[in-house]
Amino acid sequence: MSHFFAMGGYARYLWPSYGVTLLAVVANIIWARGLLRRAKTEARRRLDMQGESP
Amino acid sequence: MPEGLTPPLTAARLVITRDLTLAFRRPEQLLHPLAFFVMVTTLFPLSVSPELSQLRAIAPGVLWVAALLAALLALEFLFRDDAQDGTLEQYALSGQSLTWLLLGKTGAHWLLTGVPLSLMAPLMGYTLGVPAAASAGIMVTVALGSLALSFIGSIGAALTLGVRRGGVLLSILILPLAVPILIFGSRATELAIRGEAYVAPMELLGAIVVLSFTLAPLAAAAAVRISLE
Amino acid sequence: MTWTWFHRLGSPPYIYRLAGRLTPWFGWIAAVLLLGALFDGLVLAPPDYQQGDGFRIIYVHVPTAWLSLMIYTWMAVAAAVGLIWRIKVAHAAAAACAPIGASFTAVALVTGMLFGKPMWGAYWVWDPRLTSELLLLFLYLGYMGLRASFDDLQRADRASAVLAIVGIVNVPIVHFSVIWWNSLHQGSSLSLTGKDTIATPMLIPLLLSMLGFTLYFLAVVLVRLRGEVLRRERAASWIGEVVAP
Repeated sequence: MSHFFAMGGYARYLWPSYGVTLLAVVANIIWARGLLRRAKTEARRRLDMQGESP
Repeated sequence: MPEGLTPPLTAARLVITRDLTLAFRRPEQLLHPLAFFVMVTTLFPLSVSPELSQLRAIAPGVLWVAALLAALLALEFLFRDDAQDGTLEQYALSGQSLTWLLLGKTGAHWLLTGVPLSLMAPLMGYTLGVPAAASAGIMVTVALGSLALSFIGSIGAALTLGVRRGGVLLSILILPLAVPILIFGSRATELAIRGEAYVAPMELLGAIVVLSFTLAPLAAAAAVRISLE
Repeated sequence: MTWTWFHRLGSPPYIYRLAGRLTPWFGWIAAVLLLGALFDGLVLAPPDYQQGDGFRIIYVHVPTAWLSLMIYTWMAVAAAVGLIWRIKVAHAAAAACAPIGASFTAVALVTGMLFGKPMWGAYWVWDPRLTSELLLLFLYLGYMGLRASFDDLQRADRASAVLAIVGIVNVPIVHFSVIWWNSLHQGSSLSLTGKDTIATPMLIPLLLSMLGFTLYFLAVVLVRLRGEVLRRERAASWIGEVVAP
């Protein structure tokens, strides 16, 4: 198992590479969903304001 | 073409004449980029080393970075005055091809900024230990490169017209597009300084120039119309 | 006949619902492909004769670099469509692409540096491909910066569209830089027409990874697209049903 993590001596280049990629993958998902959620809230608020005005 | 409409080339020429006339009424504006160029160039002997041999080695890069920064500074006044007094709007509404009018404006801008820079460059090169024999080569390469910079820069200037503190954003936008000019220009200048043939990078620079003055006014015209909305 | 689907894609409620339906499919298939590529690339594929286990970085470096170029291309095309035909959905698509493209360009650069250090001995060289990829990152950031500087969304859309279109020249430069100039960066190992220069057991995880990342991008961009579409729809009636709590 430790042989796997050592990656033939390249571990300190390989694992950070995969780590940075994973970070970007996860971060983009969170960011996108946040954008959609905020857009929905904003749209809801706009509709409510329009509903109130005669 | 509607009757009575001036041909585009004539219109462009008229714009050039107008811009040059207006510029010479306020020559101080032209001195700013030039002064900036001189000051930036002098920073290097002060901060790096006064050794002429070392300065000669970095001279092409220094000259080009300083020229690029001065050109970016100068781009701010490409459209500023005409945007403020409504002339730009008149250009857009005139029924003339805005592309040709901007071709003229940008060409005039280069005559007012790029040409003086290219004349000043050999002088500053001399202070960096560059032999006087390289003067012609430096002038030609900087003149050509600044021409491309003016045209590519006009796109950025048009895009950032209404933006507050648009000067910084303009620099950030233009930088990626200006890098090829910087690379080939300084390479050409380096070869010229060493007294070698600089035809190859000049050809590439020339290709960039042709590309930019044919396509950039189109993009700049689109950007101006968007900014004026 | 052929224009019907084009017009439908331009309809905000249609694209909103379509994007919502497609995202889970793209997302889950991408997850399977990426996990498979991960296992195949890290465990199953044999070590390289010259580069040992270090070559496995290509399984993240190549797909992210590919994404950085592909996303910019789609962004520029969408921007052009939006600018020429004045279609809001197209502008929304361009806006949706940018942050994803920027982040993966950064990842491509970082993984490239981590690959370069053991292989060439340097984290960074100013060779044409690396330099033009760095410029691509600046273009993305400039695009996002320009967008942010406008209060009016429509002005932001149109101005940034011009920038995106002008910047497209960099994409072929990045791609062809290894052919046009003497570059430290490796030339293409994959070819659409010729023979691949990479061994098959190493190739499979790479293809899985590239396909997986592409589908992942589609899943994420469709989520962003829905958000961007909502931002551009003011009093439209269809929003009511969609955002009801």
